[in-house]
Amino acid sequence: MKQYWLQRLGAAIGLLLAVSALTFGAMNLLGDPLFNILGPTAASTTPEDLEIIAAAEAEYNLDDPLPVRYVKWASAFVTGDFGVQFSSDGQPPVSDLIKERLPRTLMLLIMAQTMAIMVAVPWALLAASKADKAVDKISTITAFLFIAVPNVGLAVILKYLFALKFSIFPLIYNASDPFWSRVWQMMLPAISLALPAAAIYQRLLRTDLITTLQEDYILTARSKGVSKRNVLFKHALRPSLFSFITIVGITTGALLGGSLIVEQVFIIPGLGSAIVEAILREDFPVVLAIVMIVTAAFVMINIIVDLIYSLIDPRVRTE
Amino acid sequence: MSAATDDIAETRGAASETVKANAEGAAVKRTLGIGFWIALIWLGIVFFAAAFAPWLPFKDPDANYIQRGERPPYPPSMAHPFGTDQDARDILARTAFGGRVSLTVGLVAIAMGMFFGGLMGILAGYFRGWWDRIFSFIFIILLSFPSLVLAILITSLLERSLRTISLTLGILTIAPVGRVARATTISFTEREFVLAARTLGAKNGRIIIRELLPNVVIPMSALALLGMGVAVVAEAGLAFLGLSVEKGPTWGKVILTGAGSRDLQKYPWIAIIPIVVLFFTVLALNFAGDRIRSYFDAKETAL
Repeated sequence: MKQYWLQRLGAAIGLLLAVSALTFGAMNLLGDPLFNILGPTAASTTPEDLEIIAAAEAEYNLDDPLPVRYVKWASAFVTGDFGVQFSSDGQPPVSDLIKERLPRTLMLLIMAQTMAIMVAVPWALLAASKADKAVDKISTITAFLFIAVPNVGLAVILKYLFALKFSIFPLIYNASDPFWSRVWQMMLPAISLALPAAAIYQRLLRTDLITTLQEDYILTARSKGVSKRNVLFKHALRPSLFSFITIVGITTGALLGGSLIVEQVFIIPGLGSAIVEAILREDFPVVLAIVMIVTAAFVMINIIVDLIYSLIDPRVRTE
Repeated sequence: MSAATDDIAETRGAASETVKANAEGAAVKRTLGIGFWIALIWLGIVFFAAAFAPWLPFKDPDANYIQRGERPPYPPSMAHPFGTDQDARDILARTAFGGRVSLTVGLVAIAMGMFFGGLMGILAGYFRGWWDRIFSFIFIILLSFPSLVLAILITSLLERSLRTISLTLGILTIAPVGRVARATTISFTEREFVLAARTLGAKNGRIIIRELLPNVVIPMSALALLGMGVAVVAEAGLAFLGLSVEKGPTWGKVILTGAGSRDLQKYPWIAIIPIVVLFFTVLALNFAGDRIRSYFDAKETAL
């Protein structure tokens, strides 16, 4: 078992190394970092300009061969030093920019995921306990509609309805507001991420619950006089959660992508806007840092999901 | 043990199959249902409008139809059924021409996924061993990337042409389709008719093409319809990050034109009408895919 987890960890690290090397290489070979820093001066050959170029190369570590630069960048990266921005004279350092932006994206993600789970579990329980009755059929149709809603479209429509037309939720995210008002400001963006996710969870959990409810031990419990309600909550829910957990883990990756886009709709200065700005300015260190953080988070979530899986299901552990 | 991640593709597919199996119980419906045909008609209209946009009586998507004495945008009217945007460009025409790009992206993406994912999945599922190890590893690598990040990465580095965007989204569909193809192939390889073909002396190539492919294609094509919806939505997402196809309108770009707070409040039709078109298209793709899957499923269980 220990060996398995070591293997998983090794694979994850290998993957991150591969991704970072590819990204780093592609960005440096396909783009021209020097040009992004200096502009037209980079192509000039006058003596003064050559001096400026040499100085910039030294400052931004561009004078080493590519593999050396990669190793330097990677070893700095793991210590939390993400390098200097190419644009805006390198201020603030990339790690400060990330420190400022990441918590907002993270908050949005956590809010969305919490909402989705809190909606999906009762919804699935209701649908499964009334399987094939009107409630269930309506909820299946609703779930189907929600799954088809694109995050972008939902975000725009929610913004139109609840922030502009009926000013129930605030329109503007203000980073300097106190914590709880920022939570309130993030409600709409979180809902636009949460609804489609909740629908996906609901469909899966409902199916698994119905399957579990057909097991013999449920019948035993019922015949011993356990109430329907207790059977549902105490006997059926937990064994039905396995694929639910998996899908929550996987969806987190998708939500992460979705949050970058929803941030754009609601003008939240998170990682989404950071990467858009960085791409426009071809600011490679920033793009690279965000890509690496998101990928690392994604890989970690996958491992954590497997870990939780083996914790709640003894069968997985012994295999 | 890699059950947790390995089973995803299967779980997702199996989930809705079980739903159907439970919902329909003993009385297996063999029809595709009226909803399926409505979905198909909608898709037909959208695809027709997109494919033949230059020859249909649409307005010029890039022309500015300024009306004298009035500042654009103009709300929906007889002349402009979907209204116009801030530059007085006809939104109906932009939606139709945008559909050309968005649907091409979806089609190319899923064709790539079907071809490469299907090929890799079937080979992995049929031969197992090293084929399986190599292809499954490739699938894992592809799935380890948050898909949008991969898309951002490629589109930010290369020119943002229709080809780049389509290929990028195509790469993203390979692993999910491949997983399903692999799982389905494995389940069919054990079946009697494959054994029968083998006993009759059929070679691997023949077994794969004549016996396995027809069975694997059905779940794959159901997934393809879903995948196409995902790719079309992904294009819209990329547009919001400024990374969609540079030239001409796309659905994402048309929506983006009207998504700013002020525009959305004053001229909601600019963003909302294309969103509705996008939503109905994705819904129709999902619904058709789901119906096809359960239709062929029913036949399977009835045997």
